[in-house]
Amino acid sequence: MSERGPVVCPGDRLGQESNYIAGAGTYGREGFIYASIVGRQEVTSAQGDAEKKLPIVTVTSMKGGGKVVPQIGDVVTGRVTRLRQQAAVVDILCVGERALHTKFQGQIRTQDVRAKEIDKVTIPTSFRPGDLVRAEVLSFGDANFYYLSTAKNELGVVYAESPAGVPMVPISWQDMQCPQTHVRERRKVAKVVQNTQEASK
Amino acid sequence: MEYVTPEGLRTDGRRPRELRKLGCQLGTLESADGSATCEMGFTKVLAAVFGPRDTAGKLHPDRAVVRCQVATAPFSAGERRRRGKRGPLATEQAATIRETLAENIHLELLPRTQIDLYFHVLQADGGILSTCLNAGMLALADAGIPLKDLVGSCTVGYLESTPLLDLNYIEESGGGPLLPMAYQPNMDKILMLQMDKGKLPVETFEVLATLATEGCRAVTGQIRQSLMNHTKQLAVARGSV
Amino acid sequence: MWQKNAYLKKTRQGNVVKVVREHYLRDDISSGTPLDPQCSPSDAKLSADARHYLVVDTNVVLKATDFLEHSSIDDVIVPSIVLQEAKSRNLSAYHRIRALAADPQRRFYVFANENHRDTYVKQKDGELINDRNDRAIRAVVSWYKQLLGDKMQVILLSGDRENRRLAREECGAEACSVQEYARMRTDDKELLDLAAHWGQQEFDEDDESEGKSKKRRRIYEDHRPLSSLTQGIKNGTLHQGVLNVSRYCWHEGFVPSSIGQEIRIEGVSRMNRAMAGDVVVVEIVPDNVASRSGSRPGAADGPDADEEDDGYDVGDETTGLEASAVHGVDDAICLQGPQDDDSSTKPPSGQVVGIIKRAWRTRGYCGTIMPPRDGKDFVPGRARWVRFRPKDRRFPHMMMRTAQADQLLGKNIVAVVEEWQSHRRLPDCRYVRTIGTVGDTEAETDVLLMENDIATSPFTPEVLACLPPLPWDVGPADVADPHRRDLRHLCVCSVDPPGCKDIDDALHVRLLPNGNYELGVHIADVTHFVKPETALDTEAAQRGTTVYLVQRRIDMLPKALTEDICSLRGNVDRLAFSVLWEATLEGDVLHDKTTFTKSIIRSRAALTYEEAQTRIDDDRLTDDVSMSLKALARFGQILRKRRMEKGALELASPEVKLSIDTESLNPTDIGLSQVRLANKMVEEMMLLANSTVAEKILSRFPSSACLRRHPAAPRSKYEPLLKALEPHGVSLDVTSNKRLAETLDGAVLPGDPFFNTIVRMMATRCMNEAQYFGAAQYSRSEYYHFGLAMDLYTHFTSPIRRYADCLVHRFLAASMDQEVLPASAHDVDTVKGVTDNLNVRHRNAQFAGRASVTLFTLIYFKQKGTVTEAARVVGLRKKSVIVFVPKYGIEGMVGRILSGGEEAAKWDYVMNKSGNGVVSQSGKRSLKVFDSVTVRIEVKTTQGYEEEVIMSLVDEDAAQSADADMDTADAMDET
Repeated sequence: MSERGPVVCPGDRLGQESNYIAGAGTYGREGFIYASIVGRQEVTSAQGDAEKKLPIVTVTSMKGGGKVVPQIGDVVTGRVTRLRQQAAVVDILCVGERALHTKFQGQIRTQDVRAKEIDKVTIPTSFRPGDLVRAEVLSFGDANFYYLSTAKNELGVVYAESPAGVPMVPISWQDMQCPQTHVRERRKVAKVVQNTQEASK
Repeated sequence: MEYVTPEGLRTDGRRPRELRKLGCQLGTLESADGSATCEMGFTKVLAAVFGPRDTAGKLHPDRAVVRCQVATAPFSAGERRRRGKRGPLATEQAATIRETLAENIHLELLPRTQIDLYFHVLQADGGILSTCLNAGMLALADAGIPLKDLVGSCTVGYLESTPLLDLNYIEESGGGPLLPMAYQPNMDKILMLQMDKGKLPVETFEVLATLATEGCRAVTGQIRQSLMNHTKQLAVARGSV
Repeated sequence: MWQKNAYLKKTRQGNVVKVVREHYLRDDISSGTPLDPQCSPSDAKLSADARHYLVVDTNVVLKATDFLEHSSIDDVIVPSIVLQEAKSRNLSAYHRIRALAADPQRRFYVFANENHRDTYVKQKDGELINDRNDRAIRAVVSWYKQLLGDKMQVILLSGDRENRRLAREECGAEACSVQEYARMRTDDKELLDLAAHWGQQEFDEDDESEGKSKKRRRIYEDHRPLSSLTQGIKNGTLHQGVLNVSRYCWHEGFVPSSIGQEIRIEGVSRMNRAMAGDVVVVEIVPDNVASRSGSRPGAADGPDADEEDDGYDVGDETTGLEASAVHGVDDAICLQGPQDDDSSTKPPSGQVVGIIKRAWRTRGYCGTIMPPRDGKDFVPGRARWVRFRPKDRRFPHMMMRTAQADQLLGKNIVAVVEEWQSHRRLPDCRYVRTIGTVGDTEAETDVLLMENDIATSPFTPEVLACLPPLPWDVGPADVADPHRRDLRHLCVCSVDPPGCKDIDDALHVRLLPNGNYELGVHIADVTHFVKPETALDTEAAQRGTTVYLVQRRIDMLPKALTEDICSLRGNVDRLAFSVLWEATLEGDVLHDKTTFTKSIIRSRAALTYEEAQTRIDDDRLTDDVSMSLKALARFGQILRKRRMEKGALELASPEVKLSIDTESLNPTDIGLSQVRLANKMVEEMMLLANSTVAEKILSRFPSSACLRRHPAAPRSKYEPLLKALEPHGVSLDVTSNKRLAETLDGAVLPGDPFFNTIVRMMATRCMNEAQYFGAAQYSRSEYYHFGLAMDLYTHFTSPIRRYADCLVHRFLAASMDQEVLPASAHDVDTVKGVTDNLNVRHRNAQFAGRASVTLFTLIYFKQKGTVTEAARVVGLRKKSVIVFVPKYGIEGMVGRILSGGEEAAKWDYVMNKSGNGVVSQSGKRSLKVFDSVTVRIEVKTTQGYEEEVIMSLVDEDAAQSADADMDTADAMDET
């Protein structure tokens, strides 16, 4: 349950750190919580399993969501743009469920494609350009790319099209098949929770 | 040249401690992540914020990198003149603006990204640095970038033994010292204070600094009002009041 | 409330630029009248009981400034637009109105109409600026009328007929011209006189354009427009400089130019309405173009001359004593150059083509009006044009319109120059006030003081409040002051001219245990009493110096200070600023042992030069004071010898000394003052003190120290003198001051003892003036003092009578860390402003002193009657020669010959071919510079009522003229 408050500006004092938890759009300093963006103040009552039983105060921008950037450990969704010898280059499009306002670039290196048998990995058998992948941000990488990893069961290709232009169906953790031409292709496939993969196994 | 008449009026009819007409508009450039136009008297600056976005070049693992560029339009002053973005004045102004505004951003919340600030001086009539800072503040707020506080800026000067607030071009050319100041109202902190052109006795400097703080406070009041109004307008447009 | 002012402007480069400015309108501008309930008492400048309120138009402010300044004019509203317009057209009128507005005694209120919400007027499309401004002024009238209703009458005072008409029609307000208003004010007749100047003229501002002047015949060339002048200066075809005018003839002058030589301007038409001191632009005229010189300018004077043709010439050449000795060293036309010499060193001739800045004095010019030439009297009350003759002969006669000519005749009056249009032969001027009757000593003294801008008003109460209470004595606080040494045990004495009450310097000498001598100079500690930023200090800085007239002294500081508290009188304790040196028996000063200290001294004796000299000469006297004097005299001689070896110059300025009968103030004797050994001794010690202090303050304040320099004059300035000496076989070497000193010593003619003195006098005239300056203004090598042959010099020893010395005292105290200088003392521009003012004041004081001597000389000769004396020729002119009379030390122009006691028909001398002598037409007599002649000196009444000392050449050979004619005839037959 949340309570809508007044419109606040950066630097406005919202409350004391002893009474609230600083949520999105706020920050704490010297025992007080201040707004950090322009928006509407909202107070949400304490979550059930939170450590402190304090309400959370947030400031929500009128433009809908503040700016998000990929942080280390975030699960991001992106599109593969090209393949290189040692890595696949990905345009990161979403962080979690939120779309980014501008694209960031990341790469999935061969050693980060999967957890086991990493020396046997080849990029073309894991990804193809145009695939949508879900990956985890490993580190900030270098100036050009974030380093992403798909080395978990639930990470990897979530959507790919066959040469015929038809979305392929995942067969196993490393195969996908076109429903039209029945051609199989190798991918590092993500194990999506509520889909048919489990069922097919 | 008389800058303050014995009746207490300046060249444009203001009294020494009066600000010029201050106008703020948000969202003036649709393509940018955040934008604002600020007018102090006839000085008009358009600020555009792009970011946080992927770094192109230097990255910092802990925080965002802020870049800043100030361009003065050739039609901004009385005579048409190409001044460009690379002149020494532009570089120095850009550096000052960058450091001041960057100090107000929660850079640590946006690691490995960069925030680009672009300023275009459309009309120049004194107080350019202050107007840029105010426009930049508004644009950053419009972009939703997390900030620590509001920032207000104004310039004070000292001519004919009188402290003057918010000088126009004629007064700036008067040869007296100029003190632009940037101030954070809620934290009551002076973010930037500079002095150009001149010497001042310490007592006078104190008087001027106090006047500048009051002026900045008035400016932040106006900035705050503009932000509130703009937000309410957006809310109305979205249908959620 | 927020307006935009946009207009197009032309920049200096010639580009057109759009200027956009903000203009805020306010609602907090006060009306300034207590009749307005919203006006706060502190803002209410206007009176509730006024007869009426006047709103003034720009033309009134510009042209009738004197009228507004009259004490009967009050409760005046000056719209700010009027002030703005006045500022751009005539800065001095603007300053005067501002002064009126700031004066708490006067009720002038500046109403900021341009920023008042209700009176702001926006320019309509196609409306001229002037019309818009007039509309704004009428808006002010309407606004006040509406505000005050019946409580107060509001009148528009304007010289513009159209504006008045519109005011009556549109605003229903009263409007009058200055004359109409003056007539309305029956309570004060003087206003009518002040307004009479404009007669029936209305000054429609459009009239100043081309149209009107075309109808009148142009007498002078129009001045060229500023753009073509700047162009000409830039490409070198024209030259800019300050016009210097001959003290004998107002239409002869020269302009120093960048090409090195001076450009001579000769003739009324070539002067082209420029006056002494103006910044002019000249064009060089080729030599073959004959100058239309002389008193009447070229074009036919025809119909113009109607009003002005009072029968007088444009400007007479000055005769007599008044022209002389007033304007000293900077006049280089003393010796006239030749007419037709082809030598390349002849200075070029030029003509004035434009005036950049006028030097018209805002305080006005003193002078008299000339009676009508036709011999009739002035009709009382009838306004007419009269001829005004300024006392300073460097300025032309002027035309003045007045209704009280009959009352002004025979009086010394002050007039201000208005304008000089190209169709008028002479400038127009306007009466300001009367000083006194011609010939009355006090009035004449006031005239010469006014001419030299010397303030004579008594010290104000604020100034006097800065003085310590009398009777004053050295107190325990002074004795206990750690910075002050008690030197009362020293045998100090002072030597000054007789009757001197303001004693600023005292000396002492004593033998030290180590065999060396201690020399000391003690100067009155004036700055102990005159502190910076007090009313006393401001007044002293403004006066700059004490002015010494014959009959009185105009003090820089109040008498209590100059004659008592600061004066180092005998046998009283006094505060001083001392410089102590250690010197060997041979006279070598040990500079590292020099000390400066504030002190308390007790002078044992205040002697005159004569008394001191007597004591020095008398070997029988062995008391402390006499022994000190002898020792000091000895050191003085050694120091002097050393200075002469370095090239110091021994100059002879004939100090004319007048003895006056103390009761009647009439002069009883005139002569040249004597210089004794005692004088020289004091002089040497003062020089030593001054130069020592100069070093000290410069070392500590290398950019702001106040110093004194004497720049060497270029050779060209000595040319006329060198040329005049040639025929006598004497030459001077002007390459260095040492050589000049040596050759001056050698410039003697056997059997002619006075020759050397005259040569020295004329050499002094060729030199530049010494000047005060701030150290930052010149480079180190330019600090040189030519006359004294010193690298570094300043004035320290006379703070009672010179402000520069007070400044130096402060610098010295600051360099000893005993005082803190105000911040303004370090600002280079402020220091320059102060030293420039001091130089002007110093010069003016000298002129005033000499003019006072001239005045009393006149009185002396009036009493004495006619005398005949020997004289020496010191200058040659086209129509006269200049002579110097050694007995009386006076100098003047002689333009008449007397033969057999009667005046000859005309001056028949002409300049000879080589330009260094004049020859009579008959060839009988010739005169060269330095020749001995006889002159008759008498006082004559000229111009109907003025008295002048006239000198005439006595032609000694006249008695033998008959024989001489025959001789010449024979001689001519033989050739």
